[in-house]
Amino acid sequence: MLEALNFRVILEYMPLYLQCFAATLWLSALSLLGAILVGIIACAMRLSQSWFLKRMAGIYIESIRSTPLLAQLYFFYFGLPSLGIMMPEWVTGVIALTLNSGAYYAEIIRAGIQAISYGQIEAGISSGLSYFQRMRNIILPQPLGMTIRPMLGQAIVLVKDSSLLSLISIMELTRAGQMLTSDRFMPTEGFLTTAAFYLVIYYMLKVFSSWSEKRLVFQETH
Amino acid sequence: MISFKSVNKWFGDLHVLKDINIEVASGEVVVVCGPSGSGKSTLIRCINRLEPIQEGELVVDEMAVHDKKINMTKIRAEIGFVFQSFNLYPHMTALQNTTIAPIKVRKMKKEEADKLGRKMLTRVGLEDRIDHYPAQLSGGQQQRVAIARGLCMQPKIMLFDEPTSALDPEMIGEVLDVMKSLATEGMTMMVVTHEMGFAREVANRVVFMDEGKIVEVAPPNDFFTNPQTDRGKYFLSSILTH
Repeated sequence: MLEALNFRVILEYMPLYLQCFAATLWLSALSLLGAILVGIIACAMRLSQSWFLKRMAGIYIESIRSTPLLAQLYFFYFGLPSLGIMMPEWVTGVIALTLNSGAYYAEIIRAGIQAISYGQIEAGISSGLSYFQRMRNIILPQPLGMTIRPMLGQAIVLVKDSSLLSLISIMELTRAGQMLTSDRFMPTEGFLTTAAFYLVIYYMLKVFSSWSEKRLVFQETH
Repeated sequence: MISFKSVNKWFGDLHVLKDINIEVASGEVVVVCGPSGSGKSTLIRCINRLEPIQEGELVVDEMAVHDKKINMTKIRAEIGFVFQSFNLYPHMTALQNTTIAPIKVRKMKKEEADKLGRKMLTRVGLEDRIDHYPAQLSGGQQQRVAIARGLCMQPKIMLFDEPTSALDPEMIGEVLDVMKSLATEGMTMMVVTHEMGFAREVANRVVFMDEGKIVEVAPPNDFFTNPQTDRGKYFLSSILTH
């Protein structure tokens, strides 16, 4: 099967692929950072004492998780300009990916936090640590260690979801495959090359995850 | 140092503390005992407002804990609390467990806090376990780290909520020894425990609770040899005969 592939064309398009590979990398990285931040905030709101904040976070998380990412992407791409909010495509794409993954991260982090025994939180309260000091020093470091695996899983989903950005004409890996296909009518070459690059990103994330897991994970007794 | 005046507390419909009146003087060691569900843990958890009270006055170190508007952070920093289940932070070493509050709450420099943490861990006999994580320590050692963690805030009061109940019998002694030395050094302590040997040796008074009420308050020798109430007699016979 491999000999049937036209490697000459793939090589010819390699500069485009590398450029788009870089674009997928930084778009995903930016969205990932944003999503973790949004996830932490949404999770803090959901676990807060305030009825209003809880409700807001709940509406956000539920509405994201119950609708397809493509619909969300089109909402931002077509909907916001009609409200008079204009942004470059890549900003729209990063916002959509950030808000989408943010909802999932909120739930992952919440599961991690709720796995912490309430006794530790009481110990923090008793020694006079403020809410933010407890969050920063006692609560957040633990789910960050415990939830490396699900966080990585969501990061991989995010990278793959970034392929949808090709539909709003952002130059990224899937778009590169589409271009090769439409220029030369070689969908096999076009999308296999795209897939190979996604595989590279997947392995990069996997190596990072096992490295950080070794550093962050600890065991809890009792 | 601690003063309860007509304190009442409910969990929903359940009346858990009924008209509590007691004063604890500075330097005094008070042991609180009673059957399970009698409200003794709730009583000491109210002191640093881990549980809020609904009625009455509760004054700790001249600060009104019953006042909803008061900033508890300052009061809590003056009160060490030791839990039945240790509640150490599992992602921190013994030393880090003891220094986090001095650094964050007292704004102490890290080197200074480390020095203090080492001193307190040495005091509880754990100088060779300073860099161990809680998971690497036995129950008795974990509880001693928890005591050192409380002491590092240089508190005016130490509260103990059944500190030895989760421990294997052979580890109870090491924790009680630390508590006894604290008591003899003049720390104000309230201890919920059934360790009657400890009560006899170091307590100034024993508070006996049942069904949310303080039933008896007496020096340990009087309470153990001559309880004034039937409930007290029944409780003592049930814990001393097994």
